[in-house]
Formats: sequence, C-alpha cells, structure tokens
Amino acid sequence: MNNSNMWKIGLIVLVIGSSILMLYPPDKKINLGLDLKGGMHLVLEVQADKAIEIQTEQSIEQLKTLLKESSIKYERVRRVGTNKIEIYGISLDNERMVKDILDDEFKDYEYVFAGTQTTLSLIPNVEMRMRDLSIDQAIETIRNRVDEFGVSNAAIQKIGLGGGDKILVQLPGVDDPGRVKGLIKNTAMLEFRAVVSGPFVTEEDAIQDQGGVLPDDVKVFKTNPRRMDKGYYVLKTSTVISGKDLKSAKRGQDSYGAPAVSFTLNSQGASKIRKFSSANIGKRMAVVLDERIETAPTINDVLSYDNIITGSYTIEEVNDMALVLRSGALPAPLKYLEERTIGPSLGADSIRKGLYASIIGLILVMLFMLFFYRGAGINAVVALVFNLIILMGVMAYFEATLTVPGIAGIILTIGMSVDANVLIFEKIKEDLRAGKAPKSAIDSGFKKAFVTIFDANLTTIIAAVFLFQFGTGPIQGFSVTLMIGIIASMFTAVFVSRVIFDLVYSGKRKIKKVSI
Amino acid sequence: MRIFKKDPDFKFMNKRWMAFAISGLIMIAGIFTYYTKGFNLGVDFTGGTMVEVSFRENISVGDLRSSLQDIGLAKSEITRVGRDENKFFIKTIQSLEASENQEEGGDISRHEEITIKMRKQFMTEEEKVSISAGKIDLNNSSLKKITDFIASNGISLDDAVDSAGKIDLLKKRTSTGLIPGIADIETLELKKRVVTLLKEKTYFGNFTFLSVDFVGSQVGYKLRQQTTLATIWALMGMLVYIGFRFRLIFGLAAVITLAHDIFIALSFILFFNVEFSLSVVAAILTIVGYSLNDTIVIFDRVRDNLKGMRRNNAEDILDKSVNQTLSRTIVTSGTTLATVLSLFFLGGEVIHAFSFTLIIGVITGTYSSIFQSCAWLKIWEKQFLGKKNK
Repeated sequence: MNNSNMWKIGLIVLVIGSSILMLYPPDKKINLGLDLKGGMHLVLEVQADKAIEIQTEQSIEQLKTLLKESSIKYERVRRVGTNKIEIYGISLDNERMVKDILDDEFKDYEYVFAGTQTTLSLIPNVEMRMRDLSIDQAIETIRNRVDEFGVSNAAIQKIGLGGGDKILVQLPGVDDPGRVKGLIKNTAMLEFRAVVSGPFVTEEDAIQDQGGVLPDDVKVFKTNPRRMDKGYYVLKTSTVISGKDLKSAKRGQDSYGAPAVSFTLNSQGASKIRKFSSANIGKRMAVVLDERIETAPTINDVLSYDNIITGSYTIEEVNDMALVLRSGALPAPLKYLEERTIGPSLGADSIRKGLYASIIGLILVMLFMLFFYRGAGINAVVALVFNLIILMGVMAYFEATLTVPGIAGIILTIGMSVDANVLIFEKIKEDLRAGKAPKSAIDSGFKKAFVTIFDANLTTIIAAVFLFQFGTGPIQGFSVTLMIGIIASMFTAVFVSRVIFDLVYSGKRKIKKVSI
Repeated sequence: MRIFKKDPDFKFMNKRWMAFAISGLIMIAGIFTYYTKGFNLGVDFTGGTMVEVSFRENISVGDLRSSLQDIGLAKSEITRVGRDENKFFIKTIQSLEASENQEEGGDISRHEEITIKMRKQFMTEEEKVSISAGKIDLNNSSLKKITDFIASNGISLDDAVDSAGKIDLLKKRTSTGLIPGIADIETLELKKRVVTLLKEKTYFGNFTFLSVDFVGSQVGYKLRQQTTLATIWALMGMLVYIGFRFRLIFGLAAVITLAHDIFIALSFILFFNVEFSLSVVAAILTIVGYSLNDTIVIFDRVRDNLKGMRRNNAEDILDKSVNQTLSRTIVTSGTTLATVLSLFFLGGEVIHAFSFTLIIGVITGTYSSIFQSCAWLKIWEKQFLGKKNK
C-alpha cells in the first residue's frame, strides 16, 4: 500500500465515521415526517385584514376620546374598508386643532381635509409592517398554546414566498387532534362590554329595538349557543376591559361547584372594571369571547381583581379556555387552509412496511450486483452502503425530515449510485474485451465513465435545485434527499470504488484477470 | 458475466417510426381518457376532505355508501383499501348541503362537520350505549388518555404506564389499528385488576379514522400551478445545461424525451385511475431524473462516437451508441425496477400510488432512452451531423 492510498483510506474512514457519528442513535437523529410517523399538519392563514380592521377600530376609539377631550364637535367617525377612517362634521374653525391631534397622535396615518370631511388612511409601509407583525404575533401565540398543552417537538414556522404569509404547524404524535385544533384556532379575543338591551330572538328585533337604525356606539352580538340560550344582544362598541387587561387565568368553580374560568386582572384592568361596575350596579355586562357572548350576568357588586366567568362548561373546556386566555389573544382570526391528521397506527404501519420494502429492495439490488459483477460487485455493494450512510448522516446533520417523497429521492439515489458503478464496470469490461491490460482498463474505465457520471449527475442536481426553489414542501423534501444522495454517490461510486480496486490490485505487479 | 454473448447490434433507429406510433397511440388514448374521465385528483389538488377509516367488522362499499347517503354525503368517493381488509378511503369534495355553520370558517367548518357527522353515523347502537354509560373507547383513545384513565382508577402509575403501553403496541401491530375484543387484551398478561377495570369501564370502538386530510380549495389550485411551474423550470434548466455541455440539439432531444416520459406516465395514471396526489408528483419527478440519467449516458456515448466515427451516417452512430450502452441500461433498469417492485408489493397502501407511478416510469424511462432520445437526433440529422463538418 502506498502513501496516496493511505490518505484516501483515511478520508473515507473520516467521512463514513463522522456520518455514523451524526447518525447515531438513528431513531433519535432521523426525523420522520408526519406522513410516516403520524401526527398533525396544519397550514393556517392569518386574516391580516382583520388585524388591520381591529387596529383601525382602536384608532377610532382613541380619536373619539381625543376629540371629546379637546371639546371638538363632530358628527360621526367611521371606518371605511379596512384601513381608512372618515370624520364628518368638523367645523373649519377646528381644523387647526384636529390637524395638531392627528400630527401628534396618528403618525401612522396620512390625512386629507376636504371641507367638513376628513379622511385618514393608514400609510402603506406601516400597514405592511402591521401585517408582518400580526403573523409573527400569531406564531408566538400558537407556540405558547402548543407548548403549554404539552406537545413535544412541535414545529411552527412561516411558509410561503417572500417573508411568508402562512403558518405551518406540525405536531408529531399529537394526542387529541380535535382538541389541539380548537386550542390553536381560538382567537381568544376576550372583551367585557356593557349591555344596552337584550336578549332578542332575532337580529332584526335587536335593531328594531334601537329604532330601526343602529347608533354608532352600539353593535348587535350573537350568543354562543353552547353556553346560553340562542339569541342576540345590543352591546356598546367600546369595551370595559379586554384581553390586554388580563393577568392570569385558571380553572375555578362557581358557588355551586360547577367548573368556571377564574381570572385575575392587572391593576389597570381592575381599576377600569371597578369604575364601571360601581356605576352600573343592577345593569348587565356581557362577556364576549371571539365575538360571541359567553355570558351576560347582572352586576350585583363592585368588581375588582379576581373574577370568574360561569356558564355550562365542562372541565376540559374550562381548562382549554383558561389556557388560551393565558397565552394571549391572536392578533386576528386564523383560517385553516390545510389539515392532515395521520393516526399513530397508520404511521407505525407505514414505517414498518416502507422499511421492510426498502430493505428487501436494497438486498435484491445487492444480490444482483454480486451475481452479475462477481468481485467488482462487492465494490458496488460497499459503495451503495456507504452512500446510504453518508446520505442519512448528512440528513441527520441538517435535521432534515424523511417523508414519503424523501424515500422517492433515496430510491433514485440508489438507482443512480448503482448506475455509476455499472457504467464504470461496463466500460472496464468493454476495454478488457478490446484487449487492454487489466490495469489500464480499470484506469480508463474510471476516467471515461467519470465524464458521463458527472454530466448525468450534474444535470440531475440542476433539476433538483429548480425543484427546490419553486416547489412546495413535499417536492422540496424530495429534491433535498436527491441532491445529498447524488453528491454522496459521486464520492462513493467513483472515489470509494476506485480505492477498493486499487487496494485489491495494487499489491500484484501483474494482474491476470479482473473479477468483473 | 455478460448479458449479450456477442456485442449487440440491434437496429433501433429504423424502428423509430414504430416507437413514435406506439407512444403517440398511448398519448392519444391518454388525452381521450383525460377528456372523458379526467384525473382522479386527490384532495391535495382539489381541496376537500379525505378520511381513511378502518372497521372492526365486515362492511361492504354499498353499506358504507348508503350510510353516507343518510348524512348527505352521497357523492363521496369510496375506495376499499386492499382486497379483503375493512379499510376505506372516503373522499368528499362536495360540501354538506344545508350547512348550519356557513358564515365563518368556510371550508374548515364544513370539513369539521363532515368528520363529526361521519363519526356519529358509523357508531353502532352498542357503542352509543357504552358512551352514555361513561365508558371509554380503547380503540380511539391515545396512549396518554389510556394511561391517565387507568391511573385515575386506583392503579399505580407504573402499572398504568406498562398496561397502556402494551395496549397501544397491540393496536399498532394490527393492520386495522383496532383491537377486536377483550380476548386480545387477556393475552397481554396485564395485572388482574387492570383487566377487570378494562372489562368494566372500557369498550372497543367499531371503527377508527386512520387518517384525515383536509385541503382548502384555493390551496389545491395554487399547488397545481406551483408544481407545474417547478417542473417546467427544471426542464428549462436541464435544456440549458445539456445544450451547454453537449449541443443544443441534444438538449432539445433530451427535454422532448423527458416530456414524453411525463406524458406517458400521466396516461397510465389516467388508465388505471390512480389517485393523483403530491407523492405521485414526487414519483413523476423521480422518473424524470431517472430517465434523464439514462438519456445522458447514451448521449455521452453518442458524443464520443461522433468524434471517432465517420460522420456520414447518423443512423449507424446512434445505433452503435445505444447498443454499446445496452447492457448497462438493462442492468440499471433491472436493479431499479427490483427496488420499485418491492416498494409496490411490500410497501403498504400509503405509497401504493407512488410506487405504481415509479414502475410505469422506470419502464417508460428505459424504453424512451433506447427508442426515443436518439430517434429525435435522427430526425434532426442535419443539425446533428452538420455542425462538426465546419
């Protein structure tokens, strides 16, 4: 054995060794995709429009308060579309003062005065930032909820082109898919609002009660039929307290021992509710969760820090509701675009069968190579095994996930890795038949086949790169395994296989026959 | 060992018209099927709900259909998995009529409604009695739930974890994901108290949902677009590279061959009504990669032979190249086919459509690289031979 063989062997040992190291223990290091393992896969879209709308509503409230404080008279203020506010009936004398307010407090808006009508519109850049922020916030909230629920290895990320406008949630081996889904989806926008009148059987009745046209400061809300009688209430648009005023929430019970949500307000919230309740004893207040009335009790006493929400809840519902209240509200409602649940038994079944089939397939290929190429077949088999080890090692290193399309990539890799050896061996055979000496036949076989292998593999890599760039999740999984596999096969089929040939034949000065 | 005793000398090129005719016929039949029957698109592409459900007792597709009819899901597609297993795919693209919950959530709430209604509908009377008696369903409870249940009934946590683990494993070992009855639990050698508890307070659900897929309708549309686009870009990339490494004419021939493979594979998917899902797309991409490899190996030989041979007869050069690489083509196809066949027969239903497409693809890919790729070079004989004469 000469020196150049020594470093080559060293390199091979190093590569294989580190691959095995990265791979060990395989059941911990190889992430199986949900299609193989079982679990839940959700794609959600944040209704960012709604977040903007909410922001605009809040600005309107703030604007009204400021106008009132400065004693500026106006007819009405209303939201137009998602991001515009129109103020009517400001007299020209007050224009200067309104401008000052807008300049100081509404820097996110551009405004135009046209007679007695003023239009504010959200600056596009600000709106973009808000949209991005609402997605980030939603991710954060979902992560909190999932963590608190106790799902391990959950993956929550932005997907889609650009900064990503969708959220992918992957929950491997999740216990109770329906419940988790409910937890995630719950916007958890909690608001306490004063009841103006109600309940009414239909929405029309409620509007009729207000004289046929709803004033600006009230809105009709629906009850949550699971908690109380089906019906409608007219509530104030302005809120007494909202989710932001909440400090904590947990499971509690009402005076009869039935499950109830118990929550504690922060000092700001407590002072707001104290002020409101003391002024409104004997009147009703509605607890609104995600735009549905959960309960509308009469205020009997002055409320303060600790409060409970009662209703016909089950223990599970109370737990989940406390959890979503604790984790904070979503900035906007979510829309489900995709949901895939793979039961654990199907997952186990597909792993077992997939693994079994792949191993049988691999053994068939190896037997065939040994049978067909005899001694050289051993090279091919070693190269193939090494290829798989490196492929798995690299995947483990990058924490890539193995999915069904990924298996497709591996099969193609096996095919191409075998093919590289076949190409080389066939070329050597051809040269041997043409009467070349064994040593030079091996030499030229490798050299000539390399060009072919290089072209074929590089073309495939180019295709894989494009697929990765433009494809979606599953296609990307496929192209990643394919790329890694091809690069590994260049190393094993060309380099490793050559070294083995050299080792076998280098000792002998004259090779009479090549086993191929 | 050699496949051919002598160097093979088949005349492939003069059979090119036959090859074109065969491929043409398959594609015409494919187009015909496309317009008459269309693809059996999976929910990945159409949007909708697909449920794989497994039953403990025998049930026929007819029974299932009439049962679904009762809850307004008459138009669902029902496919039995395997031959005598009681597993079915139920695909529902249509929405529930007279849905109460229209206003918000749209697609998803309809999907939710569908699965809830199905669950209710598939329950036997016996099961309903058990539920109202407060019993828990061992077949539809997770490992954690079973553990908690046993532990909350006065049995030590260690025993609870151990028993629940064994039950879960038993469930996973069955091909249906369902435990048939208490007799199977008794074989697990659990603590007597646990068995008594299970007998008293649990029951074995008659069915379980093995998987539930919901895809929103606009997602399906976007996915279709994106996949097509990705494939086209990949083909363009290959064209450029091959054009650069070989010559443009080779690139064109290769891309045409690959497009041919895609169309043939799609035709067979249509003929056999294979469900077109994302994993089938992955399989088609694999075919492209595979066939491309084959084609380049032959083209490489053509490039070599163009240098060494007298360039007056394209047919000789091309035939010789195909023949020289023939035994390699057969060996590689054979080995790949072996893997793919074992995936098809042993890999289970999850990858059935996927492995079916691969089988078609490997065969088509091999056929096309022998009969099609070089044939296109022959068609453009002038350009093929021409440039070098300068």
